[in-house]
Amino acid sequence: MNLLITSAASATAQLIAAALGEKHTLRLTDLSRKASGDIVSNELGHGSETDDLLAGIDTVINIGYQGQSGSAAHLMDYHTRRMYNLLQAASDAGIARYINVSTLRLYEDHEENLVVTEKWRTDPSAEDTELLAAHMAEYVCKEFARDRLIQVANLRLGWPFDGTGVGETAAISSDLIGAAVEEALISEELGQWQDIHVQSPVARQRFITKTAATLLPGLAGRLSS
Amino acid sequence: MNVLILGGNGMLGPWAVKAMKERHDILLTDINEPYPEYKGEYQKLSADDVDGVVKAAEGMDVIVNLSVLRPDRQFAFDVNMMGNYAMMVAAREHRIKRVITTGPHYQMAGQQYEEWDFDLIPDMPPAPGTRLYAHTKALGQEICRVFSARHGIQLITLLYYNMKHSWNLGGPEAPPVYHDDMVPYSTAWQDCGTAVQAAVEVPEERLATRSETFFILPDLPHGKFNNEKTKRVLGWVPRYHVEGLWNKEYRQPDSNLTEAF
Repeated sequence: MNLLITSAASATAQLIAAALGEKHTLRLTDLSRKASGDIVSNELGHGSETDDLLAGIDTVINIGYQGQSGSAAHLMDYHTRRMYNLLQAASDAGIARYINVSTLRLYEDHEENLVVTEKWRTDPSAEDTELLAAHMAEYVCKEFARDRLIQVANLRLGWPFDGTGVGETAAISSDLIGAAVEEALISEELGQWQDIHVQSPVARQRFITKTAATLLPGLAGRLSS
Repeated sequence: MNVLILGGNGMLGPWAVKAMKERHDILLTDINEPYPEYKGEYQKLSADDVDGVVKAAEGMDVIVNLSVLRPDRQFAFDVNMMGNYAMMVAAREHRIKRVITTGPHYQMAGQQYEEWDFDLIPDMPPAPGTRLYAHTKALGQEICRVFSARHGIQLITLLYYNMKHSWNLGGPEAPPVYHDDMVPYSTAWQDCGTAVQAAVEVPEERLATRSETFFILPDLPHGKFNNEKTKRVLGWVPRYHVEGLWNKEYRQPDSNLTEAF
Protein backbone atom coordinates (compact mmCIF):
# COMPACT_ATOMS: atom_id res chain seq x y z
CA MET A 1 0.00 0.00 0.00
CA ASN A 2 0.92 3.62 -0.42
CA LEU A 3 0.74 5.21 2.99
CA LEU A 4 0.93 8.79 4.18
CA ILE A 5 2.21 9.27 7.73
CA THR A 6 1.74 12.71 9.30
CA SER A 7 3.81 14.39 12.03
CA ALA A 8 6.56 12.22 10.67
CA ALA A 9 9.31 13.78 12.76
CA SER A 10 7.64 12.60 15.95
CA ALA A 11 8.75 9.54 17.87
CA THR A 12 5.41 7.82 17.32
CA ALA A 13 5.52 8.32 13.58
CA GLN A 14 9.12 7.15 13.39
CA LEU A 15 8.24 4.02 15.26
CA ILE A 16 5.30 3.26 12.95
CA ALA A 17 7.29 4.06 9.83
CA ALA A 18 10.02 1.64 10.92
CA ALA A 19 7.43 -1.08 11.39
CA LEU A 20 5.67 -0.54 8.05
CA GLY A 21 8.54 0.51 5.82
CA GLU A 22 9.47 -2.91 4.49
CA LYS A 23 6.00 -3.90 3.32
CA HIS A 24 4.61 -0.56 2.19
CA THR A 25 5.57 2.54 0.30
CA LEU A 26 5.66 5.41 2.74
CA ARG A 27 5.23 9.12 2.23
CA LEU A 28 6.28 10.97 5.34
CA THR A 29 5.15 14.51 6.00
CA ASP A 30 5.39 17.17 8.67
CA LEU A 31 5.20 20.92 9.02
CA SER A 32 8.02 22.83 7.39
CA ARG A 33 9.72 23.68 10.66
CA LYS A 34 10.11 19.98 11.45
CA ALA A 35 10.56 18.41 8.05
CA SER A 36 14.00 17.25 6.94
CA GLY A 37 15.53 14.37 5.01
CA ASP A 38 12.84 12.06 3.66
CA ILE A 39 10.05 14.02 5.29
CA VAL A 40 7.98 16.10 2.87
CA SER A 41 7.24 19.57 4.14
CA ASN A 42 3.54 20.41 4.14
CA GLU A 43 1.49 22.84 6.19
CA LEU A 44 -1.77 20.93 5.69
CA GLY A 45 -3.48 24.06 4.47
CA HIS A 46 -6.73 24.14 2.55
CA GLY A 47 -5.09 24.74 -0.79
CA SER A 48 -3.96 22.35 -3.48
CA GLU A 49 -0.74 21.45 -1.68
CA THR A 50 -2.64 19.11 0.60
CA ASP A 51 -4.41 17.56 -2.38
CA ASP A 52 -1.03 16.99 -3.99
CA LEU A 53 0.29 15.39 -0.84
CA LEU A 54 -2.43 12.76 -1.04
CA ALA A 55 -2.02 11.86 -4.70
CA GLY A 56 -1.74 8.11 -5.05
CA ILE A 57 -2.16 7.43 -1.34
CA ASP A 58 -4.26 4.44 -0.22
CA THR A 59 -4.45 5.11 3.51
CA VAL A 60 -3.55 7.99 5.81
CA ILE A 61 -1.94 7.31 9.17
CA ASN A 62 -2.36 10.40 11.29
CA ILE A 63 -0.53 10.94 14.53
CA GLY A 64 -3.33 12.37 16.62
CA TYR A 65 -1.44 12.61 19.89
CA GLN A 66 2.03 13.95 20.62
CA GLY A 67 2.87 14.33 16.98
CA GLN A 68 3.35 18.05 17.45
CA SER A 69 4.73 20.36 20.08
CA GLY A 70 4.38 24.05 20.76
CA SER A 71 1.88 26.52 22.13
CA ALA A 72 -1.67 25.67 23.06
CA ALA A 73 -2.89 27.68 20.09
CA HIS A 74 -0.66 25.70 17.71
CA LEU A 75 -1.70 22.33 19.11
CA MET A 76 -5.37 23.18 18.93
CA ASP A 77 -5.04 24.56 15.42
CA TYR A 78 -3.05 21.59 14.17
CA HIS A 79 -5.41 18.99 15.56
CA THR A 80 -8.58 20.66 14.33
CA ARG A 81 -8.19 22.94 11.33
CA ARG A 82 -5.30 21.08 9.73
CA MET A 83 -6.98 17.74 10.44
CA TYR A 84 -10.11 19.09 8.78
CA ASN A 85 -8.07 20.08 5.74
CA LEU A 86 -6.36 16.71 5.59
CA LEU A 87 -9.57 14.74 5.99
CA GLN A 88 -11.37 16.88 3.42
CA ALA A 89 -8.57 16.38 0.93
CA ALA A 90 -8.41 12.67 1.68
CA SER A 91 -12.13 12.22 1.19
CA ASP A 92 -12.02 14.30 -2.00
CA ALA A 93 -9.26 12.00 -3.25
CA GLY A 94 -11.40 8.96 -2.60
CA ILE A 95 -9.13 7.57 0.09
CA ALA A 96 -11.13 4.93 1.87
CA ARG A 97 -9.46 4.66 5.25
CA TYR A 98 -7.84 6.99 7.74
CA ILE A 99 -6.08 5.67 10.81
CA ASN A 100 -5.96 8.13 13.68
CA VAL A 101 -3.36 7.24 16.28
CA SER A 102 -4.73 8.51 19.56
CA THR A 103 -4.15 7.68 23.20
CA LEU A 104 -5.77 5.83 26.07
CA ARG A 105 -4.63 8.69 28.28
CA LEU A 106 -8.00 10.21 27.40
CA TYR A 107 -9.27 7.91 30.16
CA GLU A 108 -6.41 8.36 32.59
CA ASP A 109 -8.56 10.04 35.25
CA HIS A 110 -10.82 7.01 35.49
CA GLU A 111 -9.97 4.74 38.39
CA GLU A 112 -7.96 1.70 37.47
CA ASN A 113 -10.52 -0.77 38.74
CA LEU A 114 -13.09 0.34 36.16
CA VAL A 115 -13.56 -1.83 33.10
CA VAL A 116 -13.00 0.96 30.60
CA THR A 117 -13.71 -0.07 27.03
CA GLU A 118 -14.47 1.61 23.73
CA LYS A 119 -18.03 2.09 24.97
CA TRP A 120 -16.89 4.60 27.58
CA ARG A 121 -16.85 8.32 26.89
CA THR A 122 -13.43 9.89 26.97
CA ASP A 123 -12.72 12.44 29.66
CA PRO A 124 -9.88 14.69 28.53
CA SER A 125 -8.19 17.21 30.74
CA ALA A 126 -8.76 20.87 29.96
CA GLU A 127 -5.30 21.68 31.33
CA ASP A 128 -3.19 19.24 29.33
CA THR A 129 -3.44 20.78 25.89
CA GLU A 130 -1.87 17.75 24.21
CA LEU A 131 -4.70 15.63 25.54
CA LEU A 132 -7.37 18.19 24.76
CA ALA A 133 -5.99 18.47 21.23
CA ALA A 134 -6.03 14.67 20.84
CA HIS A 135 -9.66 14.70 21.90
CA MET A 136 -10.48 17.42 19.39
CA ALA A 137 -8.70 15.51 16.61
CA GLU A 138 -10.91 12.52 17.37
CA TYR A 139 -13.96 14.80 17.19
CA VAL A 140 -13.00 16.08 13.74
CA CYS A 141 -12.34 12.56 12.48
CA LYS A 142 -15.63 11.26 13.80
CA GLU A 143 -17.66 13.87 11.93
CA PHE A 144 -16.03 12.91 8.65
CA ALA A 145 -16.89 9.30 9.37
CA ARG A 146 -20.41 10.29 10.40
CA ASP A 147 -20.90 12.01 7.05
CA ARG A 148 -19.55 8.82 5.42
CA LEU A 149 -16.82 10.70 3.66
CA ILE A 150 -14.10 8.37 4.89
CA GLN A 151 -13.71 5.39 7.20
CA VAL A 152 -11.77 6.13 10.36
CA ALA A 153 -10.02 3.62 12.58
CA ASN A 154 -9.27 5.40 15.84
CA LEU A 155 -6.47 3.53 17.59
CA ARG A 156 -6.11 4.56 21.20
CA LEU A 157 -2.72 3.34 22.30
CA GLY A 158 -1.57 2.65 25.82
CA TRP A 159 1.22 4.52 27.55
CA PRO A 160 4.10 4.71 28.06
CA PHE A 161 5.69 3.14 25.04
CA ASP A 162 7.91 0.22 26.01
CA GLY A 163 7.31 0.89 29.67
CA THR A 164 8.25 -1.91 32.02
CA GLY A 165 8.12 -0.14 35.34
CA VAL A 166 5.92 -0.98 38.25
CA GLY A 167 2.58 0.74 37.96
CA GLU A 168 2.82 1.17 34.20
CA THR A 169 -0.38 -0.74 33.80
CA ALA A 170 -1.32 0.76 30.44
CA ALA A 171 2.05 0.25 28.75
CA ILE A 172 2.38 -0.77 25.14
CA SER A 173 5.38 -2.18 23.33
CA SER A 174 6.74 -0.65 20.17
CA ASP A 175 6.27 -3.83 18.23
CA LEU A 176 2.61 -4.02 19.24
CA ILE A 177 2.09 -0.46 18.01
CA GLY A 178 3.48 -1.33 14.62
CA ALA A 179 1.50 -4.55 14.45
CA ALA A 180 -1.73 -2.80 15.46
CA VAL A 181 -1.37 -0.18 12.73
CA GLU A 182 -0.52 -2.89 10.18
CA GLU A 183 -3.64 -4.80 11.14
CA ALA A 184 -5.78 -1.67 11.02
CA LEU A 185 -4.63 -1.17 7.43
CA ILE A 186 -6.02 -4.50 6.28
CA SER A 187 -8.85 -5.41 8.61
CA GLU A 188 -12.20 -5.92 6.90
CA GLU A 189 -14.09 -5.87 10.17
CA LEU A 190 -14.06 -2.16 10.89
CA GLY A 191 -17.07 0.13 11.11
CA GLN A 192 -17.28 3.55 9.54
CA TRP A 193 -16.00 4.98 12.83
CA GLN A 194 -14.11 2.44 14.84
CA ASP A 195 -12.50 2.98 18.21
CA ILE A 196 -9.93 0.32 19.11
CA HIS A 197 -8.01 0.20 22.38
CA VAL A 198 -4.58 -1.37 22.30
CA GLN A 199 -2.12 -2.04 25.08
CA SER A 200 0.31 -4.79 25.95
CA PRO A 201 -0.50 -7.62 28.30
CA VAL A 202 1.17 -6.44 31.50
CA ALA A 203 0.70 -7.05 35.19
CA ARG A 204 -2.58 -5.54 36.41
CA GLN A 205 -3.44 -4.59 32.83
CA ARG A 206 -5.52 -1.42 32.90
CA PHE A 207 -7.53 -1.59 29.66
CA ILE A 208 -9.07 -4.68 28.18
CA THR A 209 -8.33 -5.25 24.51
CA LYS A 210 -11.18 -7.49 23.45
CA THR A 211 -12.21 -5.25 20.57
CA ALA A 212 -8.68 -5.22 19.19
CA ALA A 213 -8.50 -9.01 19.42
CA THR A 214 -11.79 -9.29 17.55
CA LEU A 215 -11.26 -6.70 14.83
CA LEU A 216 -7.52 -7.10 14.38
CA PRO A 217 -7.16 -10.88 14.41
CA GLY A 218 -3.54 -10.71 13.37
CA LEU A 219 -2.78 -9.51 16.88
CA ALA A 220 -3.87 -12.85 18.32
CA GLY A 221 -1.37 -14.03 20.85
CA ARG A 222 0.01 -10.54 21.42
CA LEU A 223 -2.91 -9.32 23.50
CA SER A 224 -4.17 -10.57 26.81
CA SER A 225 -6.74 -13.29 26.53
CA MET B 1 -23.71 42.18 36.58
CA ASN B 2 -20.56 42.90 34.63
CA VAL B 3 -20.94 41.28 31.23
CA LEU B 4 -18.19 40.87 28.66
CA ILE B 5 -19.49 40.39 25.12
CA LEU B 6 -17.16 38.96 22.49
CA GLY B 7 -17.97 39.47 18.84
CA GLY B 8 -20.55 42.07 19.74
CA ASN B 9 -20.65 43.88 16.41
CA GLY B 10 -22.25 41.10 14.44
CA MET B 11 -25.92 40.78 13.66
CA LEU B 12 -26.97 39.49 17.07
CA GLY B 13 -24.82 41.77 19.21
CA PRO B 14 -26.89 44.96 18.92
CA TRP B 15 -30.06 43.09 19.90
CA ALA B 16 -28.36 41.50 22.90
CA VAL B 17 -27.04 44.90 23.96
CA LYS B 18 -30.48 46.45 23.52
CA ALA B 19 -31.99 43.79 25.78
CA MET B 20 -29.37 44.15 28.51
CA LYS B 21 -27.94 47.66 28.50
CA GLU B 22 -30.26 49.07 31.17
CA ARG B 23 -29.86 46.02 33.40
CA HIS B 24 -26.13 45.23 33.30
CA ASP B 25 -22.73 46.83 32.83
CA ILE B 26 -21.53 45.74 29.43
CA LEU B 27 -18.05 45.73 27.94
CA LEU B 28 -18.60 45.21 24.24
CA THR B 29 -15.71 43.86 22.17
CA ASP B 30 -15.25 43.03 18.52
CA ILE B 31 -12.51 42.88 15.92
CA ASN B 32 -14.25 45.70 14.02
CA GLU B 33 -15.04 49.27 14.97
CA PRO B 34 -18.25 49.75 16.95
CA TYR B 35 -21.47 50.93 15.42
CA PRO B 36 -21.65 54.75 15.66
CA GLU B 37 -24.94 54.42 17.53
CA TYR B 38 -23.33 52.41 20.34
CA LYS B 39 -22.48 54.62 23.29
CA GLY B 40 -21.24 52.15 25.90
CA GLU B 41 -17.89 50.70 26.89
CA TYR B 42 -16.03 49.28 23.94
CA GLN B 43 -12.75 47.53 23.28
CA LYS B 44 -11.37 46.38 19.96
CA LEU B 45 -10.50 42.73 20.44
CA SER B 46 -10.45 39.57 18.37
CA ALA B 47 -12.26 36.71 20.09
CA ASP B 48 -9.38 34.30 19.39
CA ASP B 49 -6.81 36.51 21.12
CA VAL B 50 -6.42 34.39 24.23
CA ASP B 51 -4.33 36.87 26.21
CA GLY B 52 -6.53 39.77 25.18
CA VAL B 53 -9.73 37.98 26.17
CA VAL B 54 -8.22 36.96 29.51
CA LYS B 55 -7.34 40.57 30.17
CA ALA B 56 -10.72 41.90 29.12
CA ALA B 57 -12.50 39.36 31.33
CA GLU B 58 -11.00 40.63 34.55
CA GLY B 59 -13.76 41.67 36.94
CA MET B 60 -16.52 40.18 34.82
CA ASP B 61 -19.38 38.06 36.10
CA VAL B 62 -20.43 36.60 32.76
CA ILE B 63 -18.84 36.22 29.34
CA VAL B 64 -21.07 36.08 26.27
CA ASN B 65 -19.51 34.92 23.02
CA LEU B 66 -21.44 36.06 19.95
CA SER B 67 -18.52 35.86 17.54
CA VAL B 68 -19.09 34.17 14.20
CA LEU B 69 -17.17 33.77 11.00
CA ARG B 70 -18.41 31.38 8.37
CA PRO B 71 -16.96 31.33 4.89
CA ASP B 72 -13.18 31.27 5.32
CA ARG B 73 -11.69 28.07 6.65
CA GLN B 74 -8.85 29.67 8.60
CA PHE B 75 -11.04 32.36 10.15
CA ALA B 76 -13.84 29.93 10.87
CA PHE B 77 -11.56 27.79 13.01
CA ASP B 78 -9.88 30.79 14.60
CA VAL B 79 -13.08 32.52 15.60
CA ASN B 80 -15.63 29.77 16.05
CA MET B 81 -13.34 27.35 17.86
CA MET B 82 -10.43 29.32 19.32
CA GLY B 83 -12.80 32.09 20.37
CA ASN B 84 -14.49 29.67 22.72
CA TYR B 85 -11.14 28.33 23.87
CA ALA B 86 -10.08 31.88 24.75
CA MET B 87 -13.35 32.48 26.57
CA MET B 88 -12.97 29.34 28.67
CA VAL B 89 -9.35 30.05 29.54
CA ALA B 90 -10.45 33.51 30.66
CA ALA B 91 -13.30 32.08 32.71
CA ARG B 92 -10.94 29.65 34.37
CA GLU B 93 -8.32 32.31 35.09
CA HIS B 94 -10.78 34.71 36.70
CA ARG B 95 -13.10 32.09 38.21
CA ILE B 96 -16.02 33.43 36.21
CA LYS B 97 -18.97 31.23 36.97
CA ARG B 98 -21.05 31.57 33.81
CA VAL B 99 -20.32 31.69 30.11
CA ILE B 100 -22.79 31.89 27.27
CA THR B 101 -21.97 30.79 23.78
CA THR B 102 -24.10 31.01 20.67
CA GLY B 103 -24.24 29.25 17.36
CA PRO B 104 -26.35 27.70 14.66
CA HIS B 105 -28.81 24.89 15.34
CA TYR B 106 -26.83 22.45 13.24
CA GLN B 107 -23.78 22.53 15.42
CA MET B 108 -25.97 20.11 17.34
CA ALA B 109 -28.83 19.09 15.07
CA GLY B 110 -26.94 18.33 11.89
CA GLN B 111 -28.39 16.92 8.73
CA GLN B 112 -28.85 13.45 10.16
CA TYR B 113 -31.34 14.91 12.61
CA GLU B 114 -32.90 17.72 10.64
CA GLU B 115 -33.63 15.77 7.50
CA TRP B 116 -35.10 12.79 9.30
CA ASP B 117 -36.72 13.67 12.59
CA PHE B 118 -39.26 15.86 14.35
CA ASP B 119 -39.65 17.20 17.86
CA LEU B 120 -35.92 17.81 18.03
CA ILE B 121 -34.79 18.86 21.49
CA PRO B 122 -31.60 20.64 22.57
CA ASP B 123 -30.40 17.78 24.78
CA MET B 124 -29.48 15.48 21.91
CA PRO B 125 -25.85 14.46 21.39
CA PRO B 126 -24.26 16.86 18.90
CA ALA B 127 -23.99 15.55 15.36
CA PRO B 128 -22.74 18.52 13.36
CA GLY B 129 -21.14 16.72 10.44
CA THR B 130 -18.49 18.39 8.33
CA ARG B 131 -20.09 21.59 7.03
CA LEU B 132 -17.57 24.23 7.97
CA TYR B 133 -19.78 26.53 10.02
CA ALA B 134 -21.52 23.76 11.94
CA HIS B 135 -18.33 21.82 12.44
CA THR B 136 -16.22 24.67 13.76
CA LYS B 137 -18.96 25.88 16.06
CA ALA B 138 -19.42 22.36 17.38
CA LEU B 139 -15.70 22.12 18.10
CA GLY B 140 -15.97 25.35 20.04
CA GLN B 141 -18.87 24.02 22.05
CA GLU B 142 -17.00 20.81 22.78
CA ILE B 143 -14.10 22.81 24.19
CA CYS B 144 -16.57 24.66 26.39
CA ARG B 145 -18.05 21.37 27.55
CA VAL B 146 -14.67 19.98 28.56
CA PHE B 147 -13.74 23.12 30.49
CA SER B 148 -17.18 23.22 32.08
CA ALA B 149 -16.89 19.61 33.23
CA ARG B 150 -13.42 20.15 34.63
CA HIS B 151 -13.85 23.53 36.26
CA GLY B 152 -17.54 23.72 37.10
CA ILE B 153 -18.10 26.73 34.88
CA GLN B 154 -21.77 27.08 34.00
CA LEU B 155 -22.06 26.81 30.24
CA ILE B 156 -25.20 27.98 28.46
CA THR B 157 -25.38 27.45 24.72
CA LEU B 158 -28.00 29.30 22.71
CA LEU B 159 -28.70 27.91 19.26
CA TYR B 160 -30.35 29.90 16.49
CA TYR B 161 -31.26 29.18 12.92
CA ASN B 162 -33.13 31.78 10.90
CA MET B 163 -33.37 35.33 12.19
CA LYS B 164 -36.08 37.67 10.97
CA HIS B 165 -36.80 41.36 11.14
CA SER B 166 -39.98 41.84 13.09
CA TRP B 167 -41.22 44.61 10.80
CA ASN B 168 -41.29 42.67 7.54
CA LEU B 169 -40.19 39.12 8.44
CA GLY B 170 -37.27 39.41 6.06
CA GLY B 171 -33.80 38.24 6.88
CA PRO B 172 -30.51 40.04 6.75
CA GLU B 173 -29.44 38.26 3.58
CA ALA B 174 -32.71 37.70 1.76
CA PRO B 175 -35.93 39.55 1.06
CA PRO B 176 -39.05 38.45 2.89
CA VAL B 177 -41.08 35.57 1.48
CA TYR B 178 -44.54 35.30 2.96
CA HIS B 179 -46.99 32.41 3.17
CA ASP B 180 -44.51 29.90 1.84
CA ASP B 181 -42.36 26.98 2.97
CA MET B 182 -40.45 28.72 5.73
CA VAL B 183 -37.53 27.55 7.83
CA PRO B 184 -39.36 25.95 10.76
CA TYR B 185 -36.99 27.60 13.22
CA SER B 186 -37.32 31.33 12.61
CA THR B 187 -36.96 33.94 15.31
CA ALA B 188 -37.33 37.70 15.41
CA TRP B 189 -34.15 39.60 16.16
CA GLN B 190 -35.61 41.21 19.26
CA ASP B 191 -36.36 37.80 20.70
CA CYS B 192 -32.88 36.57 19.80
CA GLY B 193 -31.55 39.39 21.97
CA THR B 194 -33.86 38.80 24.92
CA ALA B 195 -32.78 35.15 24.93
CA VAL B 196 -29.23 36.31 25.69
CA GLN B 197 -30.58 38.44 28.51
CA ALA B 198 -32.52 35.44 29.85
CA ALA B 199 -29.40 33.30 29.77
CA VAL B 200 -27.40 35.91 31.65
CA GLU B 201 -30.07 36.25 34.32
CA VAL B 202 -31.46 32.73 34.77
CA PRO B 203 -30.94 31.60 38.38
CA GLU B 204 -28.39 28.84 38.75
CA GLU B 205 -30.85 26.58 40.56
CA ARG B 206 -32.99 26.35 37.43
CA LEU B 207 -30.18 24.82 35.43
CA ALA B 208 -30.10 21.05 35.77
CA THR B 209 -26.46 20.57 34.78
CA ARG B 210 -23.33 22.63 34.32
CA SER B 211 -23.83 22.55 30.54
CA GLU B 212 -27.25 23.43 29.18
CA THR B 213 -28.28 24.09 25.60
CA PHE B 214 -31.36 25.86 24.30
CA PHE B 215 -33.14 26.20 20.97
CA ILE B 216 -34.21 29.82 20.54
CA LEU B 217 -37.38 29.86 18.52
CA PRO B 218 -40.98 30.90 19.14
CA ASP B 219 -43.95 28.55 19.13
CA LEU B 220 -44.20 27.30 15.57
CA PRO B 221 -46.72 24.76 14.33
CA HIS B 222 -44.38 22.54 12.33
CA GLY B 223 -43.35 20.29 15.21
CA LYS B 224 -39.79 20.16 13.92
CA PHE B 225 -37.87 21.82 16.73
CA ASN B 226 -39.00 21.93 20.33
CA ASN B 227 -38.67 25.11 22.42
CA GLU B 228 -40.34 23.84 25.59
CA LYS B 229 -37.12 23.70 27.61
CA THR B 230 -36.17 27.22 26.59
CA LYS B 231 -39.42 28.69 27.84
CA ARG B 232 -39.54 26.55 30.99
CA VAL B 233 -35.94 26.93 32.14
CA LEU B 234 -34.92 30.33 30.86
CA GLY B 235 -38.35 31.83 31.34
CA TRP B 236 -37.93 33.29 27.88
CA VAL B 237 -41.12 34.62 26.34
CA PRO B 238 -40.85 35.42 22.63
CA ARG B 239 -42.81 38.45 21.56
CA TYR B 240 -42.98 37.61 17.86
CA HIS B 241 -44.30 34.42 16.35
CA VAL B 242 -43.63 35.23 12.68
CA GLU B 243 -47.14 34.17 11.73
CA GLY B 244 -46.99 35.80 8.33
CA LEU B 245 -44.53 33.12 7.33
CA TRP B 246 -46.65 30.12 8.23
CA ASN B 247 -50.20 31.36 7.52
CA LYS B 248 -51.67 31.65 4.06
CA GLU B 249 -52.68 35.05 2.77
CA TYR B 250 -55.49 36.77 4.59
CA ARG B 251 -58.68 36.00 2.78
CA GLN B 252 -62.40 36.57 2.99
CA PRO B 253 -64.29 33.37 3.93
CA ASP B 254 -66.69 32.06 1.28
CA SER B 255 -69.56 32.53 3.67
CA ASN B 256 -68.51 36.13 3.96
CA LEU B 257 -68.99 35.69 7.68
CA THR B 258 -66.90 33.17 9.57
CA GLU B 259 -65.37 29.72 9.23
CA ALA B 260 -65.97 28.85 12.86
CA PHE B 261 -69.00 26.63 12.16
